Amino acid sequence: MIQPQTHLNVADNSGARELMCIRIIGASNRRYAHIGDVIVAVIKEAIPNMPLERSEVVRAVIVRTCKELKRDNGMIIRYDDNAAVVIDQEGNPKGTRIFGAIARELRELNFTKIVSLAPEVL
Amino acid sequence: MWSVLRSRSFSSSPATQQWKLGLSMLNRSLFSSSAHVGGDDEGIRSGELLKLEEVETILRDVKADNVKVIPIPKHCDFADFMVVATGRSAWHVRNIAQALIYKVKQKQKGSKRMLLPSVEGQEGGNWIVIDSGKLVIHALDEKVRAYYNLERLWSTDASNQDHGLVQGQDLDKAFLKVRPKNNSKKRSSTTA
Repeated sequence: MIQPQTHLNVADNSGARELMCIRIIGASNRRYAHIGDVIVAVIKEAIPNMPLERSEVVRAVIVRTCKELKRDNGMIIRYDDNAAVVIDQEGNPKGTRIFGAIARELRELNFTKIVSLAPEVL
Repeated sequence: MWSVLRSRSFSSSPATQQWKLGLSMLNRSLFSSSAHVGGDDEGIRSGELLKLEEVETILRDVKADNVKVIPIPKHCDFADFMVVATGRSAWHVRNIAQALIYKVKQKQKGSKRMLLPSVEGQEGGNWIVIDSGKLVIHALDEKVRAYYNLERLWSTDASNQDHGLVQGQDLDKAFLKVRPKNNSKKRSSTTA
């Protein structure tokens, strides 16, 4: 359940370390974003000497949420943190590697690029 | 180029039919990622829309450079094989993707409903991913290929190592704390 003002960790090596959601893309009046949704976010914290800087506005895909994700087969997945991956307008990830486990749903939502960079797919 | 593809697909159609019938039951149980097909008892099932050999021949026909087939290790079960190919330009990359989609369409000609692989990045032409179940095909620009370096990530023994390495480097940088320099002339009391 990501809404504007939620802080998220960054799960890639793009150079950002913490994001804050400012808008959910998709519908005009959506309240919460879940895994696989695209958000607009501000970089609140960045690693020095990297292309991305603090207070830059980027797009990101949510890859992990503390709110549990339910599957049709009864499986429930929830993570310890809220995490997102920084992407550009075309959907290419900014970083080259992704850290941590990623849900399989991302592949069905056409984020195969992110899935193919991830070390582990749940 | 198209005529070559067309003739090839026609000539290989009986073989593919047989293959589809033989593997249809297997496919149903194996592939969950794109298993949104109804219960039609026609030959085509979800999963492997393309075979590895077919992909290789198509990539050869469209003159994709530096084609690499990477078997994905067992612990990652999202696909079996990853094919990476380089295109010379954005047009070329898009053409590679189009040729593969065309092949899928040719194979399913005449069936009631067509199953198409999910294609990602079609507009850009930098990096196009065609996800046909157990076979994921990446068509990339030369620069993009060097940037993401998928081969290194998925090469057989170093798959986890690379991830660990990158993470380690980043963590080293991230958690490095520089102690402020002590410029005062006064002697520290601990030594005295």
